[in-house]
Formats: sequence, C-alpha cells, structure tokens
Amino acid sequence: MARIVAAMAATHSPGLTGWFERAPLDQQTLALGAFKEMQRRLELARPDVVIAFSNDHLLNWPINNIPDFTVGIGEEHVGPADWFDEWLALDKYRIPGHPALARYIVNEGARRRLHFAYLRDMQFDDGISVPMHYLNPEGRIPLVPVTLNCTVPPIPAPEHVYHVGTLLRDILRAYPGDERIAVLASGGLSHEPGGPRYFWVDEAFDRWFLDLLAQGDHARLLRECTLERMEAAGSGGTCELLAWILVLALTTGPADILAYMPAVAWRCGTGMVAWNDLAA
Amino acid sequence: MGNVERCDKTLPLNEMIFYVRRDAALRERWKTDLEGLAREFGLSREEHEALRDKDIRRLNDMGVHQYYLSQILRLFYGAAFNTNAHPALDAYKRAYPEETARAMAAAGQVR
Repeated sequence: MARIVAAMAATHSPGLTGWFERAPLDQQTLALGAFKEMQRRLELARPDVVIAFSNDHLLNWPINNIPDFTVGIGEEHVGPADWFDEWLALDKYRIPGHPALARYIVNEGARRRLHFAYLRDMQFDDGISVPMHYLNPEGRIPLVPVTLNCTVPPIPAPEHVYHVGTLLRDILRAYPGDERIAVLASGGLSHEPGGPRYFWVDEAFDRWFLDLLAQGDHARLLRECTLERMEAAGSGGTCELLAWILVLALTTGPADILAYMPAVAWRCGTGMVAWNDLAA
Repeated sequence: MGNVERCDKTLPLNEMIFYVRRDAALRERWKTDLEGLAREFGLSREEHEALRDKDIRRLNDMGVHQYYLSQILRLFYGAAFNTNAHPALDAYKRAYPEETARAMAAAGQVR
C-alpha cells in the first residue's frame, strides 16, 4: 500500500524560467519564496516518487487522437523537448522514472474502466519542466508524469477529472509497495495561451478559485468551478486547473495558499498552494 | 465556451505544426521552403496564404488551434526570451489590439 505524503500545486508558465526577471521584483520574490516553501515541504515529506499532473500542450499526441490522460512509464525522463529548451532557457535534465508504479496505474486504471494512454518516451514542455526545475532540480525524486488534455475540445469535465482522482487514490492504495508518494498539480491559473486574450490575467477569477481551495469544500468547488467558468477566465489555459482538481481528490480540507501574483509579464495568473491533510 | 472551441481539429495545418515542432529538419524547411511543406501536408491555398502572411486573426478564425498560433509565431520569429516585447507577441498586439488594450488596462502595467 503506497501512501500519499504530500500534495501541492503550482503554475508552470514558461516565463517562470524563460524571462523570469521581466516581472516586477515583488512578484519574483513571491514566486521564488513559494517554490522554496514547496521544496521545503517536499523534503520534509521524504517522498520516494512524485506523480506530476500537467496539461500536455499538444506536444505528445497529434490533434487527430488526443487522450484525456497519459502516463509516462519510461525508466528515465529527459527534457525539455528540443523545441522548448531555448524558450524555457533550461538545460537538459534527466529524472529517473518509476516504471513499476506507472505501469500499475495504466493497468489498474483499465481494470477500473478508465483509459490511461501511456508513453515510454514522453516529451516534456513547460508543464513538467518548470516545476521540476524549481522543486526537483537535481532529479533526486523519481518522477511519474501524467498529462491531461486541458486544451483540445472536448476538454474533460471537472467532475470526471475529480472522479479519476478518486480512482487513482484507490489504485495507489492498492499498489503492492510501500512507496511514499508526493502528488503535484502543474498549470493554471487564468491565462489564454495563443488566444486573442493572450495578455489577459483574470485576477478576480484566480482569487475566487484560490479562496475555494482555502475553504476546502470540494463539492462546492465542483459545483461552481465549471468548464465554462474556467474558459471564461482564459480559454485553453485556465482549464489546466483540471490538474489541481485531480489532485484535490487526493486531499481533504483546506489548502494553504502560498502565493498569488497576477503576472502579466509571464502572461499567467501565477499561484502556489499546498495541502496539509491528505486522503487516507 | 471560449476561443479553443473555434478549433477545427481536421485542419491540415493543425496536423502539420505537431510534426514540424518536433523535427529539426522540418523546422529548417519551415524557413527555406514553407510552400513545399504546406503542399506536402495538404494545406489549402487559404491556409498557406494566411500562414505565409503570419495573419494570426485569420488563422484563428480558420480554426487553427490557438496554442499552435503561438508556436507558428515562434517558428517565424524565434523562441528565445519570449517576453511581451518579443516580435511574436507584437504580432498578437497587432492582431488583437482591443483585447490587448483591455488586458493591459486591467493589469495597470505594460511590460
């Protein structure tokens, strides 16, 4: 029986590594402080593996056949993909995978009537690269990357994604190993990458969403934070909060809001949270 | 729903960007032989012309996925240091002046 020992979430905008210093100094300080606090909590939790959930920005699958969920099952994960290293201003990194756990998730998902696509050689853009840069810079914590479709219609509904989170909780509980698992949601908050409102940050939405997390009322969040609401706050980007909603199912109670910045320079509402109480 | 709902998932250009982005040889051809590349991927004349003209608004209206619009501009203008002052983002400001002005006014800062 594996155990969840940490749950957190953070924005992964490329500006956080690619043009970090273009944001006002107070936002830079806030972001670095929050990442540092996440790293501190991660170290305290002593995880054997981190499962990271992020949007796949049309990177791993062609548009004719996009799965809702994809698990990276490789022995080792190497990123960023060539096209992204200049954009992210990151050197190549290598992080060990955890194929046993990753493959178990794929197969147990299928037994629960849930389709996880998988890739042995997953490619990585900002979604996994940015949080790994800040939270797992030496690649010491093995990684199981799980990507979601947050941007190509039909985007899965929040209640379905939350349900997948509860199934994953059961799958991890049934895993025949005693791994300590950290779960990390990557993406959001409001942004519309490549859309007409590319420069738009919806601060009111972001603060409302973070307040819902701080209250910890899952039912209310699922009732109010609909796909339409997220799309209105930035199409094709804000829905990355689906990764947060998946991780939410692995927690109970309120989240600590570590930081929020309406960072127009990074073209993204930028926030970091951590949960204290984890689903048994 | 939002702008991504405009996406025409069956548009050849939406297939083409996926492959160009992950292949250094195709990225090179993007610079030297865009027309040949467009032909091989089965783009319509309309798609090719909008692409050649870097006409973001037209491409968006045509159903190119919005995320690929940003990729198209980076293929043309380069990907490094993609700040709001980058030529790729200037192209957005020109294509969507009203949306951009509203966003900047809301933020109270232009950087």
